[in-house]
Amino acid sequence: MFKKILFATSATEASDHAARVAFNMAAALKAHINLFHVLGVPTRGYSQVVLDVKTKEKVEIDDEYISWVEEEIRTYYANQLKDRKIDLSIKAVVGIPHREILRQAKEIKPDLIIMGGSTGSDEESVYKSNTGSTLQRVAKAAQCPILIVNRPAASFWGGVSSIVFGADFSKASDKAFEFALKVAQAMKCELHIFHALDITSNHMGLSLSQDEIEERIRKNLNLIRARYVSKMTDKKNFSMDVWEGIPYVEIVKYAREKHADLIVMAHSSRKLEGDAPKIGSNMEQVILRAGCPVISVNH
Amino acid sequence: MYELLTGIIFYISIGVCVVGMIIRTALYFRGLAWNLDRVAYKAFPKQGFQGAVRSIYKWLLPFGTHGWRKQPFMTVIFFSFHLGAVLVPLCLLAHNIFLEEKLGFHLITMPNLLADFLSWVAVISAVFIVLRRIALPEVRILTTWYDYLIIAISVAPFITGLLARYEVGDYSFWLIAHIVSGEILLLAIPFTKLSHVFLFFASRAQLGMDYGIKRGGLKGTKMAW
Amino acid sequence: MPEGIFCNKKPIETEEALKAFMGDTSGAQYYKEMQSLDVDSDLLWKTIQNTCKSRIRTWLEICAHCGMCAESCFLYLVNDRDPKQVPAYKIQSTLGEIVKRKGKVDNEFMRMAMETAWAKCTCCNRCGLYCPHGIDMGVMFGYLRGLLYQQGFVPWEMKIGAGMHRVYRAQMDVTEEEFVETFQWMAEEYEEEYVGLTVPVDVENADILYTVNAREVKHYPEDLAEAAILFHAAGENWTIPSKGWELTSLAMFAGDWAACKMQVESVYDAMERLKPKRMVGTECGHAHRATVIEGPYWAGRKDGQTPVPSIHYIEWLAEALREGKLKIDPEKRIKQPVTLQDSCNYVRNHGLREVAREILSYIVEPGYFRDMSPNKEHNFCCGGGGGFNGIGLFRHQRNKGLMTKRDQILKTGAKLVIAPCHNCWDAIRDLEEEYEIGIKWSFLKPLILSMLVVPDHMKPEE
Repeated sequence: MFKKILFATSATEASDHAARVAFNMAAALKAHINLFHVLGVPTRGYSQVVLDVKTKEKVEIDDEYISWVEEEIRTYYANQLKDRKIDLSIKAVVGIPHREILRQAKEIKPDLIIMGGSTGSDEESVYKSNTGSTLQRVAKAAQCPILIVNRPAASFWGGVSSIVFGADFSKASDKAFEFALKVAQAMKCELHIFHALDITSNHMGLSLSQDEIEERIRKNLNLIRARYVSKMTDKKNFSMDVWEGIPYVEIVKYAREKHADLIVMAHSSRKLEGDAPKIGSNMEQVILRAGCPVISVNH
Repeated sequence: MYELLTGIIFYISIGVCVVGMIIRTALYFRGLAWNLDRVAYKAFPKQGFQGAVRSIYKWLLPFGTHGWRKQPFMTVIFFSFHLGAVLVPLCLLAHNIFLEEKLGFHLITMPNLLADFLSWVAVISAVFIVLRRIALPEVRILTTWYDYLIIAISVAPFITGLLARYEVGDYSFWLIAHIVSGEILLLAIPFTKLSHVFLFFASRAQLGMDYGIKRGGLKGTKMAW
Repeated sequence: MPEGIFCNKKPIETEEALKAFMGDTSGAQYYKEMQSLDVDSDLLWKTIQNTCKSRIRTWLEICAHCGMCAESCFLYLVNDRDPKQVPAYKIQSTLGEIVKRKGKVDNEFMRMAMETAWAKCTCCNRCGLYCPHGIDMGVMFGYLRGLLYQQGFVPWEMKIGAGMHRVYRAQMDVTEEEFVETFQWMAEEYEEEYVGLTVPVDVENADILYTVNAREVKHYPEDLAEAAILFHAAGENWTIPSKGWELTSLAMFAGDWAACKMQVESVYDAMERLKPKRMVGTECGHAHRATVIEGPYWAGRKDGQTPVPSIHYIEWLAEALREGKLKIDPEKRIKQPVTLQDSCNYVRNHGLREVAREILSYIVEPGYFRDMSPNKEHNFCCGGGGGFNGIGLFRHQRNKGLMTKRDQILKTGAKLVIAPCHNCWDAIRDLEEEYEIGIKWSFLKPLILSMLVVPDHMKPEE
């Protein structure tokens, strides 16, 4: 189902788990994989100087340097590529990471983008500004699903037996569901539809009584039936649940309970209040905590 | 000797000075080029004129600009020197009597006591100007022998004038020296840095037009000099 | 070797030559060749005779060597009051000498003049405000740069910049197609969030013709999206030109006057072709100076005006906020200490000292705005103006220069610096990277967008 995969890699340890999944998928699905690396962010006005994201050094970019970086990437993954027939291309560019990943996605139109988790403190670069990380920005705008692998995945593609779909009843969430269903059917695996009822007081303004909570859970279950279950005409092995709590914690707990190999979520584009817009902070937290890869679908 | 200096040489000096100033001012304005200077002088004469007047006026006021306020010491010695340098030659009673006799007209005169005072102030200020040149590294690096020569030419009439005024030693010698130094000054004005006595107004007017037309004037912003 | 392969008196005219030139990493070979580049003294003197008229000649002549300009120069102050950084000294020892020696200067002199013109002056024109004689040394340095460019003594990146304008009519290798495509891509990307967002291309008789900085297209296309959203929210009838969309001019920094003319004429052609009511340029200082303030003269327009009235982005923004075309949610106003960077190029050099302040009065909670000192037309250069930001050879000098702005910002106690100018924005970003003082910096567009009351018709259904 994925013929073309765009693997946006930092070519560092942060992307190692993602790389394993990406190469396994490419091999299993005989897909073309494009290794895409943003080697540096332009700095210093209109000079040719670029801050190399790996070495943190300022380098002068020319074609030679770019080919050298591409060769470095090949070397970095040489072990994983050894003895495997993988249809591979490598591209390194200069720019602001999220923008260049999106540009490449627009160019090659992949079926799936694979990204590693946060590079942590390294990403606390001055270019991040206050509008969110590379991941958030790519997830928000990309036209295709994005697979994010942060922690060592318990299993790899080809052995998916349980998918958790985190629903939030938004338009994007409908898209995410379509995708989750498609994968579940293709993989012939379980699909667990889940919604977390947010009861954190700062969200609701006041705490809810248990009766109110249970009332809402019932409502949401009905919503799931109407919105998602109705679309699954011939799918039998599914379940649905609504739990109350802090959404990301509940999703992670739920996924663990269901031995999920994959979580599918919509990247909510709804803006949260405050001067530090943490767009989709739920998703970020799930990615950080979940024991399996997460797929973000927005379109 | 005296006859010669106050006769033909005087007429030549004052003539060269005045005609020189007129020609150079005319050449200055003729040499302004809208395309090279990138200022549309002719397209916006009113705004240009207003800008020019403002630019000159503000700088003629002691502490009238940010620049003057930033450097109070320089402002004080600068204005005290220039006050004497402009007023004493023009308004001294003796000069005007001389002027009346030679050219048939005179200007406003000032009391001798004030003239004495202004002359002393000018000389003392000049001393400070020289000391400033020597003391401050940022001025020292710019200073050449030519700058000292200009100061000497400007101050010599004052020193000789004062010496004659107080009749130190030989009066007639100092008088001759005073007339000679004064005539040197007149002759130097159009041909040296002393041309700033009129080119100051030209140059300030130009930048004033620049700001009055191109750099904000047309936006209604008056430059806060 | 009088004329080098890369370092010579010929401008870069073709894409091929440009690529080859940029292949010389860091200009290593270029600067090596420069060591033996001949000076064409006859040409130099002839050019001076033709172009150095009474204004500059008088300036050079009547300079009283009083040193009052010293303290006006941030590079003098930040370099421990090095007398060699006194503006009058800098210009007298370079342009003054060339004129005095009637152009008979040698290679070493020209290289010294190059360093002085690009690493000791950002053409911020502040010294001109402090000279009793009204001598604007920034203007003279601009003139000197032209002479140096003609002789081939120009920093490597500046020659690239001028070449870019010659080849692409843009400061970076962005073609017309790429520009339009990127702008449309951005509108598509944001269309879901802001319903009805489109990019009108080449619409005739629009109210606003919008022009940009190629860097936005190349690296931060979000800026284009933000501009589109704000025009759309304000209900403006706007358009972009497919040709003549580049507002900036690195050729101006380089002193390549012929390229300057080509560049601005491409924009003026767009104005004449599309006949908009007026042009609005993006948040860029030197671009405004190039296309709106100096450009008409390069293009030979006697009234010094652009073909249609042209304003800076902040002028449009202030107007839109004043007239209520854009509405700010008062709850979302900035509630942290914030300061403003006045761009020399449109504040000191175009009188726009109150405009950005008016905008701040709408978007900053009262009591949180901290002005820098000095400010408005007396503000110091960001430290990276006039091409300084981009020149690798003078990086060290530039970083030192940034300390002025760093200290000015620290004194305000602001945590956010609003910089409606690409150059200032870059410089402030770089100073944070270099000195880590814990500040954020921003253009106006994203700030306005974050507190905008989005009109109902633009809200997505949910």
